[in-house]
Amino acid sequence: MRRKIMAAAGAAALALSLSACGGGSTGNESGGGDGKPYVAIVSKGFQHQFWQAVKDGAEKAAKDYNVRITFQGPDTESNVAQQIEMLTSALNKNPDALALAALDSKAAAPLLETAKSKDIPVVAFDSGVDSEIPVSTVATDNKAAAAEAAKHMAKRIGGEGQVAIVAHDQTSKSGKHRRDGFVNWMKKNAPGIEIVDIQYGGGDQLKSTDLAKAMIQANPKLDGLYGTNEGSAIGIVNAVQELGMKGDVTVVGFDSGKAQLKAIRSGLMAGAVTQNPIGIGYKTVETAVKAMKGKDVKQTIDTGYYWYDKENMDKPKIAENLYK
Amino acid sequence: MDNLLLNVHNVSKSFPGVKALADVGLDVRHNEVLALVGENGAGKSTLMKLLSGIHAPDSGSFELDGRPIQVQSPKQAQELGISIIHQEFNLMPDLTVAQNIYIGREPRSGNFLLNDRRLNARAAELFARIRIDLDPKSKVGDLTVAKQQMVEIAKALSHDSKVLIMDEPTAALNEAEVAALHEIIRNFKSESTGVIYISHRMDEINEIADRVTVLRDGGYVDTVDAGSTPIRDVISMMVGRRLSTEQRPDPAPAGTDVVLAADGVSTRDMLSGVSFELRAGEILGFAGLMGAGRTEVARAIVGADRITAGSIEVHGRQQKIPNPAAAASLGIGYLSEDRKHLGLLLDRNVKENIALSSLGRFSGGGFMKGKAMAAKAQELVGTLRIKTPSVNQPARNLSGGNQQKVVIAKWLLKDCDILIFDEPTRGIDVGAKEEIYTLLNELASQGKSIIMISSELPEVLRLSHRIVVMCEGRVAGSLSNDEADQENIMEMATRFGADDVVPAGAEPAGGTQ
Amino acid sequence: MSTVQAAKSESRTHTGDTAGRTLSGRLRSSLQQFLAFASLIALVIFFSIASGKFMTLSNISGILLATSVIGILALGTTFVIISGGIDLSIGTGMTLCSVMTGVFLTYLGLPLIVGVIGGILTGAVMGLVNGTLIAALKIPPFIATLAMMMIAEGLALVISGTSPIYFGSTPGFTNLALGSVIPGLSIPNAVLIIFIAAVLAGVTMSKTIIGRYTFSIGSNEDATALSGVNVKKWKVLIYTFAGAFTGLAGVVMASRLSSAQPGLGMGYELEAIAAVIIGGTSLQGGKGSIIGTVIGALIMSVLTNGLRIMSIPQEWQNVAVGAVILLAVYLDMLRRKETS
Repeated sequence: MRRKIMAAAGAAALALSLSACGGGSTGNESGGGDGKPYVAIVSKGFQHQFWQAVKDGAEKAAKDYNVRITFQGPDTESNVAQQIEMLTSALNKNPDALALAALDSKAAAPLLETAKSKDIPVVAFDSGVDSEIPVSTVATDNKAAAAEAAKHMAKRIGGEGQVAIVAHDQTSKSGKHRRDGFVNWMKKNAPGIEIVDIQYGGGDQLKSTDLAKAMIQANPKLDGLYGTNEGSAIGIVNAVQELGMKGDVTVVGFDSGKAQLKAIRSGLMAGAVTQNPIGIGYKTVETAVKAMKGKDVKQTIDTGYYWYDKENMDKPKIAENLYK
Repeated sequence: MDNLLLNVHNVSKSFPGVKALADVGLDVRHNEVLALVGENGAGKSTLMKLLSGIHAPDSGSFELDGRPIQVQSPKQAQELGISIIHQEFNLMPDLTVAQNIYIGREPRSGNFLLNDRRLNARAAELFARIRIDLDPKSKVGDLTVAKQQMVEIAKALSHDSKVLIMDEPTAALNEAEVAALHEIIRNFKSESTGVIYISHRMDEINEIADRVTVLRDGGYVDTVDAGSTPIRDVISMMVGRRLSTEQRPDPAPAGTDVVLAADGVSTRDMLSGVSFELRAGEILGFAGLMGAGRTEVARAIVGADRITAGSIEVHGRQQKIPNPAAAASLGIGYLSEDRKHLGLLLDRNVKENIALSSLGRFSGGGFMKGKAMAAKAQELVGTLRIKTPSVNQPARNLSGGNQQKVVIAKWLLKDCDILIFDEPTRGIDVGAKEEIYTLLNELASQGKSIIMISSELPEVLRLSHRIVVMCEGRVAGSLSNDEADQENIMEMATRFGADDVVPAGAEPAGGTQ
Repeated sequence: MSTVQAAKSESRTHTGDTAGRTLSGRLRSSLQQFLAFASLIALVIFFSIASGKFMTLSNISGILLATSVIGILALGTTFVIISGGIDLSIGTGMTLCSVMTGVFLTYLGLPLIVGVIGGILTGAVMGLVNGTLIAALKIPPFIATLAMMMIAEGLALVISGTSPIYFGSTPGFTNLALGSVIPGLSIPNAVLIIFIAAVLAGVTMSKTIIGRYTFSIGSNEDATALSGVNVKKWKVLIYTFAGAFTGLAGVVMASRLSSAQPGLGMGYELEAIAAVIIGGTSLQGGKGSIIGTVIGALIMSVLTNGLRIMSIPQEWQNVAVGAVILLAVYLDMLRRKETS
């Protein structure tokens, strides 16, 4: 008897896990026969607040344009294989349009060919895809955004000194662009500033913390640290806090989130560059709808970015783009 | 008066598809050793498992000291006073001797903390009482097989058992250790205790047992007095026919070529200067005590252990043999004593096991030729008289003797003409032993050359044309069959020192060059 | 006559033999630990020479702090691995525990101590489930804990609503890991916690019944069962006990990040298992030690920290850690070969 109960509990737990893993999938997937056009969205993630904001924007557009969407993303932003799988199953559902934030655009290329052969218009979002197939790319210009961060960093530390970068990864386009945009701006505009080290923490807060601590230890004269996404930036903030160096190092971040906002308010961080996640989600669906109807769409749609700091973060224009 | 210690009434037990025991009964008296004999599959192990609470009987009953008992778990069996020494060691190699013996009954301080000082003291007391020489703090994995067997015995005796059941306790022991074990058994049995002794070694039964109960094919055959019943009669009860003992082999074929010669072979751990010659069509026996280096000779020849000095010639040509695969390609097959681990894939079928070493022959373009494989396997099953319902039967389901034959078939298929058998009949029952002996003789008469390593002297004497006796990693001497007997082999096997003289009249094969 | 002679000679050789083997066996097993410790010291010396910034008090304290989460996970999983099992659920399980701590403290507003104990108990309950699946339902540990890994990951996201839980309402919580109870010494509490946890684990391993059965089951499960030990029960207890360490790791991580991050955790189990293996514990079970695991975890974090201090690119850091794991396992195999 007890054994039976245990088996049942196990099965229930397993069923739960099956629904929980495989990434989050939301949207009005029920009632497939309601005749609404269907846009399948495969993002880079779904756990992170950023993607939740993108999803909110996408859902808003879906309502406005009366389409059905699904929003899926892999468990971690390094799980390329899982994303490819999601892309495959999305294509199998023959959507009217497909939106993709590719973790690895080369890995996704064959599937994009499939989409093309099925005449499914593809909209790239968040980062570009190395391919002719997407009709449009809806994204933040990460290089320009990173340059904005560099500009503010340079200003804060007075145009000279040592700066290090905690990046979130070295293979994705956004990771590369946010690193290179920063580095290139410094090279061109601030010859007095030396980038002493670049390390990668995978966006993992704990790893980024230990990483940033080691960097500060290794470079005692460090003037500034730049984190290329929320996890990296929080890692830096933790490190500065644990080492009791508040005020000694200028910290510049990327994206938002509750902890980052708090750090900026308290002065631990100088400021950060935010994207426009709600706008990305909204524009993605809007562009997909246009494309499926055969209308012309712009090749790249820049959804913009904003520098925010203690002074301007409460202004409505900025605040609406900051997620918690 | 009822003087029965343990009484087993009409016990039956079936497993899916097999009637393992049918209406078996036996009784053990106080202060006696009851030998339980029977071929493999006769039902001894099943009976043991019922008595130790691993399985429950379908019908029948047990009585201990006249009271009916039900044994539901190994723990309960111990609590009732029934201790079992299983054939396969049930020891934890990473634990110490004392920890092994008192596992599940550790002296504790409070509920949770161990008291290892008391544990070791208790073990030392036990060893003193039963006169076993063991260090409570040694790690069991570091002990010799014989010492491990002693740990098993000490563990069983530590339970204050009434009934001690031993399943093949001497399979891994040499004669001296057997004698020591028998001494322990004699010390153990008393007016309140008794022993069930399961063995394949008939000579031991005469030595230690008071009565013998014979099982055959899951049924009870008879119980006879050990002292007054000739071994031959017991064996014929077991197998249902009479066997001849004290046979000697036909004379070796004269003047044949030397197919394998070792010259001064040494290894890092064990061997020093081992030399011998093996001729075509002969069976060369290797005798010696446990740990004398016989298995190591085989391992050195097939390249399983690295040779540090000396050379090996195969068919007159000096060869470097780096690993067993190279040995096989030279036509040397090694049949390990540990069939279950090293010789067979127990879960794969007979066909696949036979073809395992010759897969290249049965594949084309990366695919297996199943039919050709099955046909060849079928042929060998016929030639070697392997008893199996089909070549698709998993090896696990075969008896020990037939498993051994499957291993032999594997090497025959690989065209090996030099076969090294390490304990070819270990764990095989008497009837099947005869079959293996016949097979070895047939193989030799077909021109195969055989090295047979065996701890059973009668077996060595019966089969070997010549006998190499090893002691402490060296060749202590070499005898032709007609001059060899148990006494002079034993004497050589216990000879110490480097400067042994080869006994006069011995063939030069084993001597120094 | 010859029998008697043989008896004498045999017993003589075997006694000597046994004593010799045991002694050298003991020497070798302590040698292994010594080797691991020596490699740790060698690494420390190497990095001290390579970079003047390595051997500073604050960097050493940073290394110890960086060891805390993986180290505590590794302590628990040492029990599981010595018992012959494996636990893949500790990484995401730890995350679930930190989320549950967040739920207890922030959502339910329970007192600090209740939240901490609740987090640890969450880990123990997961261990209990793992152990039950493995011992009672006979699901292989790899599969059972793989499933649990996914379940924990999913539940952490579901319960937290996929967003981090911040401990703003419980200001004392961060001090749990980052405060310092020893005045004057800048050693964070997390380091003390792993130290105490290691002592607890070490004593449990060598001095208590659960430790003894951990070794026994890992050494030969069937034999342990035949000896009358209730192997099922003890396996469940071992996994439960190990789970409590997962819970503790979750609490420490949450405290250090002042938040429960539901997206973290995947991959931590492999780092913890690597630390256990570098410390000389055999994946086959039966062999291992807590002190080895502590050294293994320290080797991992010293290596990572040192390479970072030297500004070695991340890619090569991974290569180096992988190479250390291979080396450690190979040395262990060599030692094993010697012994057998």
